[in-house]
Parts: sequence; structure tokens; C-alpha cells
Amino acid sequence: MSIEAKEHRKSSQGSRHKKNGDMVPGNKTQGTCFRSTSPRILGSIILAIGFLAIGNAASPAKDQKWTGSRTTPVHQIPLKDEFNQPIIPTETYPLPFSSRTTCAPCHDYAVIQKGLHFNAAVSPQAGRPGEPWVWVDERTGTQLPLSTHSWKGMWNPKDLGLSAWDFTLLFGRHMTGGGISEPEAKDVTPESRWNVSGKIEINCMGCHNASRLQNHTEWAKQVLRQNFRWAATAASGLGEVGGMSSRLSPTWDIFDGPNPDDSEWAVVPSVKYDKTSFDTKHRAFFDLSYKPDDARCLACHSTAPAALEKFNFDEDVHTAAGIKCVSCHRHDITHNMVRGYEGEAADNPLLPAEDFTCKACHLGTESSKGKKILPGRLGAPYPRHKGIPAVHFERLACTVCHSGPLPGKEPARVRTPRANRLGIFGVANWTTEFPAIQEPVYIRDKNKKLTPHRLLWPGYWGEVKEKDIAPLKPERVLAAAGDLLFPEKSATRVLAALFNVAELEGTPALIMDGKVYEMNVDGGLDAAPYDGERGAGDLFWAVKKDGKILPLVPDFDPGNQEAAAEPEAKILKILEALTAAEAAPGKAVLGIKGFLYQIVENYLDKSEKKDPPASGPQFFWLKDGKTLPFIPDPERRTIAALTGTEQTLTESEVALVLKALGGNDHVYISAGKLFRLNKNGELVAKNHEAASPVAWPLAHQVRPARQALGVNGCTDCHSPGSDFFFGKVRGAGPLKTENVAVRSASSFMDVTKPYHFLFGLSFTVRPAFKVALFICVFVIGSLLLIVFLVVLGRFAGLIEKRR
Amino acid sequence: MLFIIITVLGLLAVLFRQTYLRFRETSAAEEKRPGALSPKAYWTWLRNRPKAVFTKESYKRAENIFRDWTANHYPGRAKWIFIGLGLSFLYQVASGLFFAVFIPRGMFGLPLLGHMGMGGLFGLSLAVLLMWRGRAYRPDKEETEIPFPQTVLFWAFAAFGLIQVATALGSMLPVFTFETQQAFIAVHRYSALAILLAALIFIDIAFIPQRRP
Repeated sequence: MSIEAKEHRKSSQGSRHKKNGDMVPGNKTQGTCFRSTSPRILGSIILAIGFLAIGNAASPAKDQKWTGSRTTPVHQIPLKDEFNQPIIPTETYPLPFSSRTTCAPCHDYAVIQKGLHFNAAVSPQAGRPGEPWVWVDERTGTQLPLSTHSWKGMWNPKDLGLSAWDFTLLFGRHMTGGGISEPEAKDVTPESRWNVSGKIEINCMGCHNASRLQNHTEWAKQVLRQNFRWAATAASGLGEVGGMSSRLSPTWDIFDGPNPDDSEWAVVPSVKYDKTSFDTKHRAFFDLSYKPDDARCLACHSTAPAALEKFNFDEDVHTAAGIKCVSCHRHDITHNMVRGYEGEAADNPLLPAEDFTCKACHLGTESSKGKKILPGRLGAPYPRHKGIPAVHFERLACTVCHSGPLPGKEPARVRTPRANRLGIFGVANWTTEFPAIQEPVYIRDKNKKLTPHRLLWPGYWGEVKEKDIAPLKPERVLAAAGDLLFPEKSATRVLAALFNVAELEGTPALIMDGKVYEMNVDGGLDAAPYDGERGAGDLFWAVKKDGKILPLVPDFDPGNQEAAAEPEAKILKILEALTAAEAAPGKAVLGIKGFLYQIVENYLDKSEKKDPPASGPQFFWLKDGKTLPFIPDPERRTIAALTGTEQTLTESEVALVLKALGGNDHVYISAGKLFRLNKNGELVAKNHEAASPVAWPLAHQVRPARQALGVNGCTDCHSPGSDFFFGKVRGAGPLKTENVAVRSASSFMDVTKPYHFLFGLSFTVRPAFKVALFICVFVIGSLLLIVFLVVLGRFAGLIEKRR
Repeated sequence: MLFIIITVLGLLAVLFRQTYLRFRETSAAEEKRPGALSPKAYWTWLRNRPKAVFTKESYKRAENIFRDWTANHYPGRAKWIFIGLGLSFLYQVASGLFFAVFIPRGMFGLPLLGHMGMGGLFGLSLAVLLMWRGRAYRPDKEETEIPFPQTVLFWAFAAFGLIQVATALGSMLPVFTFETQQAFIAVHRYSALAILLAALIFIDIAFIPQRRP
């Protein structure tokens, strides 16, 4: 078909859609008309038309072959919504664009759907283990590695009762759309809200948008608001999306349009397109990149050392050399992407060959399919590997020496976007400390080669079922534990209430056990050391003003009516605010110097206190005539133990929650240990298979050759104290405990530790050994040379002549 | 695989040659009897050899040969040169041959560590032995008690020994490329086979008493 013919077809389609465009749901005029007749029936008709239209749109694009042109066509194209109707940005309630219909005229959505990023749940080719999705719930100390592939140590979401809806809500923030987030009708579960949120179609722009407006934070925000069908539009920068599907009634659907009765809370999501991106024919300009920028890939696939400053972080040597991620991780329209590991072609028969392994590019190879690959692709330098015995190349993956951090006494802690929620920016802190991912840990892969891995220790509550441990969902643990898992609430409810007291003129703070506790934007506590005059063991409420800690209630004599007037006015405000605090256990009262202040019938009542007077003002909750401390001792200990640390649980909390869950048949797993209650109700830790770490190979960051492992000589690895063999891998988890698994690096390698100790020891005499061998070679060689010359002399007759 | 085939064939060929020559020697008296040197007779003789070899008398005879040899050629403490060479060579052959033929992965672990250590001893004792005894095998001697094949085998042993030590040393030096390293391993293996064959023939010629006058 000629270009002209194509244009003609497009324009005729465009005009047809324009006519139908009047029927776009939400269109004010027609919308009213629908409602006045029978919205459901009309909705169904439109839905049917829509599906028919999608059917047409999704029909395979005929000509996908590359013509040879090295240019990328300018994508000034008509946008279409999920019903294949053209989008008119000037309309009052335009729908978000749909990649399924917008891209379909040229790109076969059905084929792309089978690509690596979208087919995880259905593809039989799992290949080499990759990074799991980690279900992190900080409150319950849950960090469960999940994967739809049957990779060792990872849980299938279905086995944990996670539906496609649950999974999308948990991880949609870093998903590409399609696959599990675009379920078919048979996979839609009753509790899901797909009819409200829409499905997350493949977000083509998430990777291919070259515009700097492409906003991953916006994507995550929209997904969390359940604005699934709007997320791509909002994230691409083509339009601004307001409203939240998560607040809408579960019966709402897209045909209902906006809710005129609520413009504050349950606001229906809507798009305001950036009209400057559209031409007069309502065609939008997509700033597309055929080869996605690295930033798009790194939004989900990257690691960064937890202890490093950003300015100090070196990028992968390939990136530094100007090679893009997609230069190696290639694919055609099938989006069947090259992962680039050795043996991949055998795992994935659809791949043509292993052209993009380290070996193929740098050394050249013959693929398992018999294709000869020359070295030096894309200018890959040819490594000479001088002095490295060949056994290293048979037994080690290239990445052992060249990738990830160099081995240390313990593996380095790293964060990844998918596991630690990186790259989502805002006032609240999205990033999680857990899971604690460690690298490098060297583990033998299925090719029997040692390969550097990333590793995490699972953490979860479980139910003992015969020999297996079945993980519990965090909501079940929360239901059983109640307030046990919220120890800081006793402090935050007070601090939050004190924020409402205007007279304080500062930030409320709690001084306890030598620390200053303040409330953070996430509703938690931040701690800083207290170096004031009060004792380290004191607990008192204060106000932080201009960096100074002032007492919440000033020192005064309650017996002196005149002097007490001003402080008492303040006390009234404070007690009012505290009594109104969220989930206050009782009425707030204040004891000071033998007097008790409380609010009685809206007035401040002062009475003499029977108990001996405390050293300073003391607040209590008054309930059923009894006084309760603001911070009970167990909560006080937990707050002191956990605030300012990355852990979220203490052993005593775990013991209490296990009791609440049912005792002996429940366990908690953290940092490589299984915790359960013994017969006496005490918490005990032991080793268990279910607490084993989960690992997956790492490929990047590749370091320059001059920074490879072994560049300082054999003793980089072969020495009695080498970090490579004898480093420690220490379990890390949400539980603050000394009971953590500690394993030697060699225990992951399937090697004999004493042998490598001896072998390493041999390198202490290796230089002398080499000298000795050199002398031997010299002596033997010299004698042989003499013999050779003598024999030569005899053959030449020189010796006889001399005689 | 090629190395395994060559190794097996090489060893079989040398063993066949040496045993057949010995069979002919032992059967010299009956040479004229029809069928005395037939393959069947050779096979029968070969089957009985283990019985004849693994006896107390054979052990004592070997001990006497060793004692005489060291007394004649390595008097006093010099015998330790010979013992060192012999023991290290035995270990090198046993470990090297076993791993090369039966273990696809090649040598690893403690045997490799032993192989390296013994390799050092082998190189050292070979160098000393050549200095000590090399003069006796001088190829420019007009009159000598040492038969010419023995002299050739002695120097062949030394030459292949040099290759063994040099390739091992080369693998340890941060000088040679990956391809060279691989070549070193191949050369090391083949020269090991050659040194073994040379040693087998040398032992047969030099140590085991010849019956033929």
C-alpha cells in the first residue's frame, strides 16, 4: 500500500471516528442524553461497539518488516481511547489514550504482549533467575520474594492468594503494563475493581518516550490511586490527570462519567490534555525513541550501593563508553528481549543466538545453534587475560571478576528500584530500607560456573503445615496483632494532637531515654540524641523551638493563683487537644507538684493529687478512674529499641504476635532464622530451610578491566584471609536480634573451605616457588643446550676434528 | 578426547613393545620350537606375568636393583636426589594421568595442590640429577658402558621434563595470554605423556636385568 493510500485510509478512519466521537462516554451533551434514556443499555451498546472497534484495531499489523530506513518516523498521530474512538483534547471529559488502540494501526499489540516484559505469568521460558518482586510490609516485618516463574525460594503470588488485582496494586508502580495487570475476563476476581480503575495496558511510552516529561513518579502515583487506565497518559506528560479511582464506588464504571455531586473526595479521574502537544487535526506528537534511553530502563532495573553518595557512584563501564542498555538487550517487534546470559539460547528457543553475552562480544564464540560469532562487536576490547590460568574461564562467569562491587568482609548492601521502591519522589518517603539486598555472593549456576549473585533473606510470618511453612498475608497478621505492631502510636497520637495547640509556638517533641523524638511526615518517629539538662532516663514532653528544647508545660507553682493563670490557660488548650487525640485511651490529665489538672465540663479543674508529687509535670490518660501512662513501658522499650534503626520488630513484639496468632503452630522468619515459641512460651530461634536466602545472578555494574577482581594478582582471591572465599554473609531482616544466620562466602560456592585455605596459603610461598622453578628451568635448559650443541658438533664432525 | 585416545594408544603400544621384547627374550631358548613365538604363546605368557611379577621374590629383586643402582650411581646422600625424582615423578604421573583420562573437569582440589608441590620437587631433583649424572650420559663420549638408546631416553626424559617445568612456570607468570595459557596446558599434557613413555622404556632397558647376553 502506498503512503498516499495509507494516509487516505487513516483520514477516512479519522472522519468516521470523529462522527462516533460524539458518543464518547462522558461527553456532556450525549452523556445527559444517555442517562435520560437507559444508561446501562446504551453503555452496553457502546461497550460492544468499543470491543468491535478494538477487535479491528488490534488486528495484526500487516507489514512489520524493516524497510532499511535508519530513521524513526515522526509519531504525530491521532490518539485513541480504549474504545478505539479518537481523542479530542478540547472536549470536556476526554478519556486517556490507549496504547492498544493508538499504536495498533502500525504495531501488533498481540505480538508485543508476548514479549519478555509482559509475559512473565504465561511464558514457559523462565530462563535464568531474575530479581523477584518483593512484597514488603514494614509494619509486619514482611519481605516475601515473589515470582510467577518457578525460581528457587520465590513464592508464586497465586499460592499466597494474591490475585492479579492485588499484584498490580502492590507492584504496578514498577510494572510495564500488560500481562498480569491487563487480565483477561477469566482472570478477573470478584474483589477486584478493574471496572473502576480500568486495566493497565502496555505502557509503550514508559520505555519509548524520549521526552523528559516522562514521569515515573506520576506513574506510581496514578497506579496507587487505582487510576490504571489514566496512568500512561499522566506519566507521559501528555495530560494532567486528577481524581482518584480508589475513592470511587465499586459500582462506578467509565460510562458513568464524572460525579457532579462530589468535587472534593470521590472525584472521578479526568484528563486535561496539554493542548500544545496537539495539532489542529488533534494529532498528538509523541517524542518517541526507537531505542529507549537508559534512564527508562534504569527506572526499574538498577542497583545502587546503600552506603554510597550519588556523586560518588560510577556507572557501568559500557554506559560510560556510550553503549545503551538496548545496544545489547535487543529485540524485534516481539519484544522477546535478549537477557544476555550464557545458555540463554537453549532456555529461549525463540532467540536466534547468544550474540550478546560477554564472551560473544569480547572473545567471540560459537553459539549453541552453531553460529560463529566474531569478537569485537560494537568495539568490544579483546581481553588477553595475561597470567590467568585457563581453569578460571571454565569455572567462573565473566561477571565474577568484572561485575558488581569487589568482595569485602561482608557483601555490600544495595537497593533496587523494584524492591526498595526507588525513583518515586514526593514529600513522603517511598523508599524502603528493606529488603536488605546484598551483593556479591558467589553461587554456582546451572552451568556449574561460579556467578555473582544478589541475595536477600526473606522475612515473613508463617503457619506450620507439616514440614512446610505457609506464609501469612500481612493483613492477617495485623488483624491478629492489633496495636502490638504500632508501639509508636502511643507517642505519635500525643505529638499529632499537640500540633493543634497554636500556643506552643514550636514543634512538639518527646524526650525519652536520652533521645528527642519528633513526628515525621510519614506519621512515624524520628529520633535524635538529647543533650539537654534533664537526665538520660527521663521522659517528658517538650517543644522544640529554634533548635532549643523547652518544656511543654513551664515550671510554675500551682498553689500561687496569680502566677498559675497563664500556664493554666496553656494547660487547658493542651488537655483539650490531647483528649481529642485520635484513639485516645481516655481523658488526658496532668499531674504537677501535687495537683491534678483535668477538663471537667469544658473547664480546667484543679484538684490535689493523693500520690506523692513527681519531679516534673506528668501526663496521664484517665480511664475508669485509673491513670494510664502516655507511653507504657513495653511501648517505651520498643520505641527506644527501634526508632532510628531500620528494623521494625523486636523479639518481645514477635513473641507477643506469635501468641496472638495462635502460638506454637506459627513462626516468624527473619535474617535466616526461624523464630517460634517453645513450650514455656519463650521465643527461640533455629535454622530452617524456609529461612534460606533467595539469590539471583547479577550482571551489572561492569567495572573497567583495570578494576577487575585479580588485577592485583592471584592473592585477590587466593590468600588465607581472602574476602572472596572467607568473607561472611550475615542475615539481615526486619527483626532486631542477635540471632541471625552467618555463613561463609565459600559455603555458597560448593567448594571445600579447608582446601582453599591451604591453596591460599600456598600463595605465600608462591614467589619463592616461581624463583626456584625458574632456576630449575635455567639449569635444565642450559645442560640440554650444551648436550644439543655437542650432538650438533658430533653430527657436523667438529668434535672429531678438534680431537 | 584426542589426548585420551593418544594416551591410551601410546601406553598400549609401549607396553606391547616392551612386553613382547621381554617375551622374546624369555622364549629365546625355545625359539626354534614351532609356535613358540606365536601370539597365543605371547598371550599365555602375558597372562602369567602378573603372577610372576607380584611375588615376594620380585619385590626383593626390585629392591636389590634399586639398592645396586643407587649404590653405583648415587652414593651416600645423593640417593635422595634419585628418590626425590622417582617419588615426585610417580605422583605426577599417577595424578596427572588419572585426572586427564577419567575426570572431564581436569585436575582440581588437593591433588592439584599436591601436583604443584611435587612438580617443584620434580623440577629441582631433575636439575640436580642432570648436574650429577649428566656427564655419564654425555653424547660425545667415544667409549661408554651406557647403551645409546639409554642415553637418548635419558636426555629425552630431561627435555620433556624441562617442558613440564617450563609450562608450569609459564602458567604462573602474569605474562602469557589466555590462548598461550591454553597452549601451555596442551603442551604440558602431551609432554607428560612423552616423558612417561620415555621413562617406561628407560626403566625397562636400564633397571630390569637383560637375560639376553
